[in-house]
Amino acid sequence: MKLSIIKKIIVFVLLLMVAYSLTAAETYSPGVEKYHRVWNHLIPRYTKLQYAGSMGFMSVGTGWQYGSNHQWETDLLLGIVPRYSSKRAKATLTLKQNFMPWNVELNDRWSLEPLACGLYVTTLLDNEFWTKEPEKYPSGYYGFSTKLRANIFVGQRLSFSCDKNNPNKKVTLFYELSTSDLYFISAATNKYINPRDVLSLSFGVKLQLF
Amino acid sequence: MIKRGILIGLCLGFLLTGCDLIEYHPYDVRIDGETNINLKNIEKIQQQCAGKDTIRFAFMGDSQRWYDETADFVKHINKQDSIDFVIHGGDISDFGITKEFLWIRDIMQGLRIPYVALIGNHDILGNGKEVFEQVYGDENFAFIAGNTKFVCMNTNALEYDYSHPVPDFDFISREAADSARYSKTVAVMHVKPYDDQFNNNVARLFHAEIKKFRSLQFALHAHNHKLQTTDVFKDGIIYYGCASMKQRNYMVFTLTTNGYSYEVVNY
Repeated sequence: MKLSIIKKIIVFVLLLMVAYSLTAAETYSPGVEKYHRVWNHLIPRYTKLQYAGSMGFMSVGTGWQYGSNHQWETDLLLGIVPRYSSKRAKATLTLKQNFMPWNVELNDRWSLEPLACGLYVTTLLDNEFWTKEPEKYPSGYYGFSTKLRANIFVGQRLSFSCDKNNPNKKVTLFYELSTSDLYFISAATNKYINPRDVLSLSFGVKLQLF
Repeated sequence: MIKRGILIGLCLGFLLTGCDLIEYHPYDVRIDGETNINLKNIEKIQQQCAGKDTIRFAFMGDSQRWYDETADFVKHINKQDSIDFVIHGGDISDFGITKEFLWIRDIMQGLRIPYVALIGNHDILGNGKEVFEQVYGDENFAFIAGNTKFVCMNTNALEYDYSHPVPDFDFISREAADSARYSKTVAVMHVKPYDDQFNNNVARLFHAEIKKFRSLQFALHAHNHKLQTTDVFKDGIIYYGCASMKQRNYMVFTLTTNGYSYEVVNY
């Protein structure tokens, strides 16, 4: 107990020292500028809201865009799965990688990304689901994870620029069709299972303010 | 502008046709369509078999990811006219995913005769157990067909800890003490004693308890994906195991006043 209190005090003092050194460094030096630039890159630039898509009823999150034409995007989303007939509602976390190879300017306001594709991994934040089989099972008993799902998707996006002077200020609407690893296996090995049975449709909006 | 038109058209198309494409999560337990199937079908079985001396039923299991084979099974059973009902010995699903239960349910609903389904170890994965309870009903249940009682039990102990009784000896005792009108009993489970899922510390106790059922004829199990005939405790009570749907066969048991017989049907 005592040790944990001492640890907390040490962490607090360290944080104070870091905060002090940062304020003291307001007098700019090249090192500090570089430091700011690196951290600046890590500031998320947009907010995303996505409905359905096997990652939750509704997911909200943020992310980073990069590449010469911002053709890459990495999202981190937090979703909610309502209770329905199960014991409790569940939260999900999704890590999503998007790739938009083309951007077509329709006019000075509207632009279209005719293909958006990528993959995402979802995890269920619930202790009845496991990533690795619990030790009670003989090794490789089930051979899959109930907690993690890998998904692939394709879709399209339409963007509206809110400010002609600032191309980064825009609203993007999108839809996606996706499927997950276990659905893919089920459909690939059965004529009875149609693509329609295993495809998941979702809609979303991306708000980029700066 | 043309592109925009195409896009809007596509979006509208999806909106109109896409209602069943909306999924919140594979494990969301969002169920539409028929639920509580066991109870509804037990009523039909009891009615249709009432007063019959001879009953015939098909026993299958482990449909798991073999949807095509299960659909063919249903077609094959529908061509027979002397079978009274079907028992699915568990492992309805492969991953415990909500949709898997609904796919198999929709295939099995094609049967002309009623069926009941037991819970298998794969059906407990994730929150599959909650899907099973919604779609089929209780994990332990019993019904009477003609003058035979069928006691169906959850024996997938490895999927639980000790907070949940598997097998449920209270349920077994209640069924043994049941004073309803029937002359013999068949025990049904997904996993037989001494298999990997069973609570093998109580294997002997379990067998001793189910032998208290009125005139126990034999026991049925699935799980091992192969046809099996095992006198597990060397006392003449045979545990019959069915293959999985992958092997494209099922068992048909005929119970008469003088005893029983069975055959394996390939399809």
